[in-house]
Amino acid sequence: MLTQEPVVTQQTAARSVWGVVRFVYPFVVVALIWETALRLGWVQSVSLPAPSQIAAEFWRLAVTQGVLWEHFSASFYRLAVGYFLAVGIGVTVGALLSLSPLLRGLFEPVLSLLVSVPTIAWLPVLLITMGLGDRTVITTVFLGGFFAITYNTMRGIEMVPRNQILAAREMGVNGAHLFFAVLLPGSLVSLITGLRLGIGYAWRALVGGEMLAAMIEWGIGKMVFQARFFNNVSIMFVGILLIGLSGYLLDRTFLRWLEMATVERWGMVRRR
Amino acid sequence: MLQNENAPALIQIRDLAKEFDPQSKNTVEALRDINLDIEEGKFTVLIGPSGCGKSTLLYLLAGFEKPTRGSLLLDGKPVEKPGPDRGFVFQDYALFPWRTVLGNITFGLRSNGWSKADADAKAREYIAMVKLNGFENAFPHTLSGGMKQRVAIARALAYNPRVLLMDEPFGALDSQTRKHMQQELQRILMQTNKTVVFVTHSVIEAVFLADRIVVLTARPGMVKGIIDVNLPRPREYTDDSYLDIREAVLSLLSEEVEKELEMDGM
Repeated sequence: MLTQEPVVTQQTAARSVWGVVRFVYPFVVVALIWETALRLGWVQSVSLPAPSQIAAEFWRLAVTQGVLWEHFSASFYRLAVGYFLAVGIGVTVGALLSLSPLLRGLFEPVLSLLVSVPTIAWLPVLLITMGLGDRTVITTVFLGGFFAITYNTMRGIEMVPRNQILAAREMGVNGAHLFFAVLLPGSLVSLITGLRLGIGYAWRALVGGEMLAAMIEWGIGKMVFQARFFNNVSIMFVGILLIGLSGYLLDRTFLRWLEMATVERWGMVRRR
Repeated sequence: MLQNENAPALIQIRDLAKEFDPQSKNTVEALRDINLDIEEGKFTVLIGPSGCGKSTLLYLLAGFEKPTRGSLLLDGKPVEKPGPDRGFVFQDYALFPWRTVLGNITFGLRSNGWSKADADAKAREYIAMVKLNGFENAFPHTLSGGMKQRVAIARALAYNPRVLLMDEPFGALDSQTRKHMQQELQRILMQTNKTVVFVTHSVIEAVFLADRIVVLTARPGMVKGIIDVNLPRPREYTDDSYLDIREAVLSLLSEEVEKELEMDGM
């Protein structure tokens, strides 16, 4: 098995290069068609600028002015704080709910209701109670991740096969040891689903929160929202495309690696 | 092993009854008035029509369920909860998919205070016993059903429980593998001399493996009869006396199976 590793890695590398090409070329094709159509005067458009204009705007924001990175770092700071709070608290609460029938009976109905509330619906409440600054945006991010993570942690622990738990208990394993050695790893399939959903929701919530929290200066959502004052649609598109790309990469990178290193390696889900 | 005739049996079951939902209208009486001694070093098979409570009896021994009435002693102490003085083998293996073969076996040892080095050495010893050398670092999902069950047996034996409880362990295997695993189990037990309580619905399997076969009645499960199998080991499927015993078990069992069919209205 060990001797096969390098071959597998090479294949994976080749596959991932091919994967990037396959992912990118439709964008290139659409951009070329759109650019051509505008230049030859087949269509007139105010709301959708030419790809070359968007690219120029990107260059200005990223290199000439350099403000893009300021926006990005502000956004990622809020995402990181809110999301890690959501992971820590969500996993803990989800575990408690799955282990205590009393707590579960009390909170599960509430949770199943709140899990389907779009996070942005919380914003007006937060703007009143927490103000118009960073705290509100971070709390929005937290709420975005929290419900999905809590719910999926709870479900995951419940779905650990009964016989695996009994087998461990017969070995004399109980309490916290049973939780960390059996219930937690056994629930990882669902837990990782929760982490992935959570980061997606948290990212969407972040952008919405940044648009509506008036007191913050920086943030990728802020950048898009403020561009309307200058009537600069190109900035909006730079923002929209980067928001999409970031959200995609957040999902495809570290959580995907976690998934490959754990549940796929252990055969708990089919390899993708 | 030397056996003192007067010593109390390793497992003593007295007037044991188990009812599910005893307070409700839907009470299911699973076991009634079970009295049974299980001797140390013996292979006891529990057999009976489906739904007769043979697995329930095994779950009571394991401590997964509590008796409604009666007592259940292991080494003279009442069985109240699961514990490492017993090892359990499930039909669906119940291996931990996130642990390697070695990791599955060392888990029980490490949980009972063994050092890492000692646990590794002991686990490797049992891996060799179940002939899985070379698969120490394999994850369970890469193994066949028969191999998984070997890991489960090694996992349950490695921490040296007083008794090995097996719940239809070969029921999910194809018939070739099943026959092979029966022979392998016989070989392993001749090495370890472990006390086993084994649930099956296969008469062939029962007679091949058992020192003693306990036939249970249709629900509620009671002891219908006990047949001792005094055949030398290692056994072969072709022994003449083997076939006679099989007939004896079958005749006891068929009465119960007919009763069960009548109950089901067939």
